[in-house]
Amino acid sequence: MKNKNFPLIILLIILLTCAILTTSGCSSTEESGAKDAVSGMEVNSGSDDASQIEGGSENNTLVLGEMWNIESIDPINGDGTLVCEKAAITETLVGANDDFSLKPGLATSWEQLDENTWEFKLRNNVTFHDGSKMTAEDVNFTLEKVISENAKVASMLKIDSIEIVDNYTLKIKTKEINPILPGVLHYPDTAIISPSSYNENGEFVKPVGTGPYKLESFDEQTRVLTVVKNDNWWGGEVGLDKMILKGIPDPNTRAMAIENGEVDFTVDVPYSETDRIDAIDGINVEKYKTPRVYKLDLNLKHEPLEDVRVRQAMSYAIDRSDIAENVLYNVGEAAAGPFLPTMVWANKSLKPYSQDLEKADELLTAAGWVDTDGDGIRDKDGQPLKFNLMTYSARPGLPPMAEAMAAQLREAGIGIETEVLEMGSIDDRRESGDWDLYLAAYNIAMVPDPEYILTNWYMTNGTDNNAGYSNPKVDSLITEARKITNMSERYKKFNEVEAIAYDEQPMIIVAYYGCAIVKKDYVKGYVFDPTAHDYRINADMHIEK
Amino acid sequence: MKYLLKRAGFMVLTLFAVCALTFFLMNIIPGGTAELILKHTLVGLEDSVTEEQLSQISGRYNLDAPLYLQFFSWIKEALLRGDIGTSYVFKKPVLYLLALRLPATIQLAGLSMVIAILAGVSLGIYSALRENKISDHILRIVTLFGVSMPGFWVALLLILIFSLKLKLVPVTGYGSLENLLLPAAALSLHSVAAVMRVTRTSMLETLGQEYIRFAKAKGLPLWKIVSRHALKNTMLPVITVIGFQMGSLLGGSVVIEKIFAWPGIGSLLVDSISARDLPVVQGCVLAIVTMFLLVHFFVDMLYTHLDPRIRYG
Repeated sequence: MKNKNFPLIILLIILLTCAILTTSGCSSTEESGAKDAVSGMEVNSGSDDASQIEGGSENNTLVLGEMWNIESIDPINGDGTLVCEKAAITETLVGANDDFSLKPGLATSWEQLDENTWEFKLRNNVTFHDGSKMTAEDVNFTLEKVISENAKVASMLKIDSIEIVDNYTLKIKTKEINPILPGVLHYPDTAIISPSSYNENGEFVKPVGTGPYKLESFDEQTRVLTVVKNDNWWGGEVGLDKMILKGIPDPNTRAMAIENGEVDFTVDVPYSETDRIDAIDGINVEKYKTPRVYKLDLNLKHEPLEDVRVRQAMSYAIDRSDIAENVLYNVGEAAAGPFLPTMVWANKSLKPYSQDLEKADELLTAAGWVDTDGDGIRDKDGQPLKFNLMTYSARPGLPPMAEAMAAQLREAGIGIETEVLEMGSIDDRRESGDWDLYLAAYNIAMVPDPEYILTNWYMTNGTDNNAGYSNPKVDSLITEARKITNMSERYKKFNEVEAIAYDEQPMIIVAYYGCAIVKKDYVKGYVFDPTAHDYRINADMHIEK
Repeated sequence: MKYLLKRAGFMVLTLFAVCALTFFLMNIIPGGTAELILKHTLVGLEDSVTEEQLSQISGRYNLDAPLYLQFFSWIKEALLRGDIGTSYVFKKPVLYLLALRLPATIQLAGLSMVIAILAGVSLGIYSALRENKISDHILRIVTLFGVSMPGFWVALLLILIFSLKLKLVPVTGYGSLENLLLPAAALSLHSVAAVMRVTRTSMLETLGQEYIRFAKAKGLPLWKIVSRHALKNTMLPVITVIGFQMGSLLGGSVVIEKIFAWPGIGSLLVDSISARDLPVVQGCVLAIVTMFLLVHFFVDMLYTHLDPRIRYG
C-alpha cells in the first residue's frame, strides 16, 4: 500500500534525469570529445563555448544570424559559399567587381596561351592560416580535389590537366575551349585551401584558408561557427576581432533575435517586416539586389503556350512593379531579361514589360482567345484558357508571388490554378511534361559569365529547358559565342540571344531577387557585394560604439 | 522472462518492418534521388543539374541497382558491422549525425513530457475536483485553446512575450536550461491539454465509483481520497495517452525546431527526406521508432503495476 504512486514517480524521475543530464552534458565541451570518438574527427577544437556569448558585441565581436543552418564547413563537399563568402575563411583565385567583371584575387593575372591553355600567376605574399606560404602546389592540390569530389564544379571547369611551372605560376589545360574558366574560379567552391585541411587519411578536418578570418571552432552540435581575425592577412587590416555565426533558419526568429540584441547582423527578415524593423532605434535595414531571378517557365509543348502571342500577352498582363512593391516589399525589383542591368554583359536596352491589359487583350484576341460564354475566362473552340502554376515554398517570395500573378492573369481572362509543391514532385512533373507554368528562383551568376545561364535556359537541349524552347538562331548564336574569347565580341552575341528571348518570351522573367541586410547601427564598414550568393562579409567590417 | 523475450522479438520485427517500409516508400515518393541529392535542399540550392553529374552521383551511391539489392546491402551492413550507412549529403556516418542530434531531441521531448505530465495531471485533477465550478470552466476553455492553437504560432507568441518583452530567456540558442524552456513549453502545450482532458474525465469517472463514496462516508479528507484511492485507477487511461503523446513529441517537433534553430532530429529527418538522403532518413526513423517502442514497453509495464489484474504472458 505504501508505494502506490511508485511507478509514476519512477517515470517522472527517469524523464527528469534524462532531461537534466543531457542538458548539462551538452553545454560542456567534454561532450565534443565523445562525439569525436564516434567519427574519429577532430573538428571541434573550440575551447570556450561560443553559444554562451550573446550579442551586444563586446571586444569587437560580431554575432551573425545566418539564414541557413550551418551543417558543414567543408568548402568543397559541403557549403563553399558559407566558408568563403559568409565566414571569410577562404578566398578564390579570381575576384569580381560590382559589375561582375573579373579582377585579381589570389591570382594576380591570367592569360590564355592557346585555345585550351591558360596561365595563372599567383600572389607571392599569401600565407595560409597554418602559417605556410601559398604556392602553385597548393592551388594544384585544391583544384584536383574539387574536380574529383564536386561534380557540379568539375563540369564547369572542364580541366584536363594542371602543370606547375614554378612556385607562383600554373598552366591549366582544358578539355575543350572554355572561356569561362577564370569566371568559374570565382565560384566559392574553388576557393584555395591548404592540404593541412585534410588528415593523413585524406579526410576533411577543417578549412585552412587564406582569408581575413580563420577558424576558431565549429561546434557541430550547436552548429555555431566561430572565426577570429587573421593578423597575417595579405590584404591588410582586418576589422573585427571575432565573428560568431549562428544558423537561424526561420525569418521571424531572425527578426526577433536582432530586436532582442542577440545578433548584430542578419539577413532576410520577413519581407513584410522590413519597414517596421528599420524604424526601430539602433537597427537599420538595407535592401539590395542579388544575382538571382524569379522566373516563370512556360511549357511550350502545351498548345496555347506554343503561340508567341499568348506568351507576350501573359507578360503584358503581369504587373511586375506591383509585385516588387507589394509582394516583395521592394526586396527585389521588376526584371526585363535574365541578367541584372548592372552586370557587365547584360543587354541594357531591354526594359521590363509593363502591365498593359489592352495590349494583352489585342494579342489574345488576335490569337483567337475570346471570352464567348461570359465566365471571365477566354476560350477557343470550346477550350478555356486555363493553366496550372506550380511553385515551391523554400523561398518565401514565391507562393505569394504566384498568387499575385494568378490574380493579374485572371484580369486578362487567363485562368490560373496555383499549387505549392515539394521539389521532388516538381522535378517529376517537369520531367513528365504534365505542367503548364512553373515559378522558381534561379541563380544567374554561379559564375560571372552569361554562357552558363543562356545555354541552360535557351539552347534546344539546355539542362533547364524543360519548356521545350527551340530557336535555331539562338542555338547558333550561343554556340558561336561560346568559342569567342574576346569578351566584348562574346557579350554582343549573348545580347542578341537575350533580345530574341525578350521578344519571344519562352519564359517570363518577373523580378530580380532581393536581399535585406539587417544590422545594428554600430556595425560599420559593411559594403554589399552584389556578386555574392546571399551576402559577403568584407574585411573592413568593424564595431564602432 | 518469457514475455520479455517475446516482446523483444516483436520489437526487432517491428524495427525491420519499419526499415523496409521506409526504404520502399522513400523510393516511391516523387523525385529522382540522384537529382535531389545534387540539389540538396539543405542549403537552398534549387539550381539545375546536368546528366553528367547525375550519372556520377548514381554511380557513386549505386542508385541504379535494383531496389531490393540496395535494401539488402543496407541490412547486411547494419547487421554485420553495425554500420547504418553514410549520409549522401553530409558525407558523414549516419551514427555520427544521430549522436549529434539525439541529445537535443531527448532533452526537448523529455522536458516537454515532464511538463505535460506535471501540468496535465495536476490541472486535470484540479479541474475534476472543481467540476462545473468557474475555475473548471476556465481551465476547460484554456485547454480548448491549447489543442487548437498551432505550435508555430504559440512558439512565436512565447518568444514575443518572454524574450522580447520580459527579457527572461534568449530567442535562440542551445545548451542551457534557459534555451530549453521556450521550445519545451511550445512543444508541450498540445500534450498538456490532451493529458489534462483525459485526467479530468477519468478522475470524474473514478470519483463516481462506490468505493470512493464509501471512503467519503468514512470521513476521509478529500486529498487522502484522491491520492490514496482515486489516483491509481485514474492513471490507467492517462498513461495510455502519455505514451501516444510521446510519439508526437519525438517526431512532431519539426516546426518548433526550425523556429528555435534547435539542433534536433526532426529537422534532420525532414531535410533528409527532401534531399532524398536515404541513409539518414533510415537512421532517424530507426531512432525515433526505437524510442517510441521503448516508451510503450515501459507504459505496458506500468499498467501491471497500476492494475494487477493486467498480466502479460
